[in-house]
Amino acid sequence: MERIRSNDQMAMAEVFDRYGGLVYSVALRVLKEPDQAEDVMQDIFFQLWKGTGSYREGRGSLGAWLAVVARNRAIDSLRRKKPTDSVEDVVLPAKTDLASESERNLMIEKVRVVMKGLTPEQQSLVELAFFEGMSHSEIAAKTGDALGTVKTRIRTALMTLRKGVQG
Amino acid sequence: MTQGSHFGSHIPGEDLTLHALQALTAEESAAVQAHVAECELCRAELAAATGDLALVALSAEQQPLPTGARDRFLVRIAEDAKQEEAQPRIAKVIPINRASVGRVSVWAPRVAVAALLIIAAGLSVEIMHLDMRLRRETAVLRSLAEKNAKAQAVVEALTAPSAQRVLLTSIKTPPSPSGRAVYLPSTGALVFQGNNLASLPADKTYELWVIPANGSAPIPAGLFRPDATGNASVVLPDLPKGVPAKAFGVTVEKASGSDTPTAPILLAGAAPAAGE
Repeated sequence: MERIRSNDQMAMAEVFDRYGGLVYSVALRVLKEPDQAEDVMQDIFFQLWKGTGSYREGRGSLGAWLAVVARNRAIDSLRRKKPTDSVEDVVLPAKTDLASESERNLMIEKVRVVMKGLTPEQQSLVELAFFEGMSHSEIAAKTGDALGTVKTRIRTALMTLRKGVQG
Repeated sequence: MTQGSHFGSHIPGEDLTLHALQALTAEESAAVQAHVAECELCRAELAAATGDLALVALSAEQQPLPTGARDRFLVRIAEDAKQEEAQPRIAKVIPINRASVGRVSVWAPRVAVAALLIIAAGLSVEIMHLDMRLRRETAVLRSLAEKNAKAQAVVEALTAPSAQRVLLTSIKTPPSPSGRAVYLPSTGALVFQGNNLASLPADKTYELWVIPANGSAPIPAGLFRPDATGNASVVLPDLPKGVPAKAFGVTVEKASGSDTPTAPILLAGAAPAAGE
């Protein structure tokens, strides 16, 4: 990041090579439209280049931060909403270096296994809340469940994922 | 949002998760952010909840980047770096609310950006040229103003009633070499004209001295060498203001001049009281 701050284009290219696929994949999963997903990805990396994002070194993994920002920006784009990043610290439940391709692949594999282990109801909730950007009120309206129940279930699903990855 | 229901005075985990998901209203999010800014426990819990979301993000099927995406990005930052170098004080990135703009086509925004970049590059060159021209003209004006001020000071020194006018002649006879000094103590303006001065070897020079009326050390008032006809002048040497002169003198010194006059004094003249 120090090199990027001093306008080192090679350093920025390295970060793009390392995380470009991850950011694009998350944006594409939300938006389902390659051009829009690329726009989101280009903007995220350009903001990182300009130093205008809220990422702070030493406050969590850059890869994890980018993954969450990619999702948030894609949802903003989906809702035609002004980007509103409030992502600051991102602490992964397992000590994983997402900068390392092999560790990242291992983590991805682990996450997929744990996700498949969630109940269909939990998987659906995660899908609606994370990838479709639905609020808990919208989910409650869709499923007919009480608001509090939806909130608790989303939390429970994510805690299950966290514990599964930690274990 | 159910503040305090699970964590005492802290934000409930469910609400922190919803905040991380950006599912809260603006007001609720603001309340969470305000609390988190002050509460280390909730900040850590929010970071962990955001970490959970990063895990969910990792579950997205990995897709290859679109063809040319990397090149497009590298070109973008290269152009940005170029602009930064060309206009470090002018170039400023203005975040564009892309989400609020309807997507007309895939290429239209990129063509527009390319056109804007070309226009911006052209404008930056034009600005550089105008800036250089402005600097040149400012320098000419400054030089003219300095010359004008100097000319006015000469006229003032020569015409002021309070100027001390002194005729300097050779101490030895015949007094063929001579000098005439016109001095305005209040401004330190001095004009000296020497005549019939002998030529000097290359390692020597004439030096003019102001002998202050208060008895302090002689003040060097300029180096000069006569022309082929023996004439020389010293115009507005760098002198302190407000030093009335008792006398003026001319000595021969080494080519670089001296801080104190070296005997003998070739030309000397006592100054009358100002305005006499």
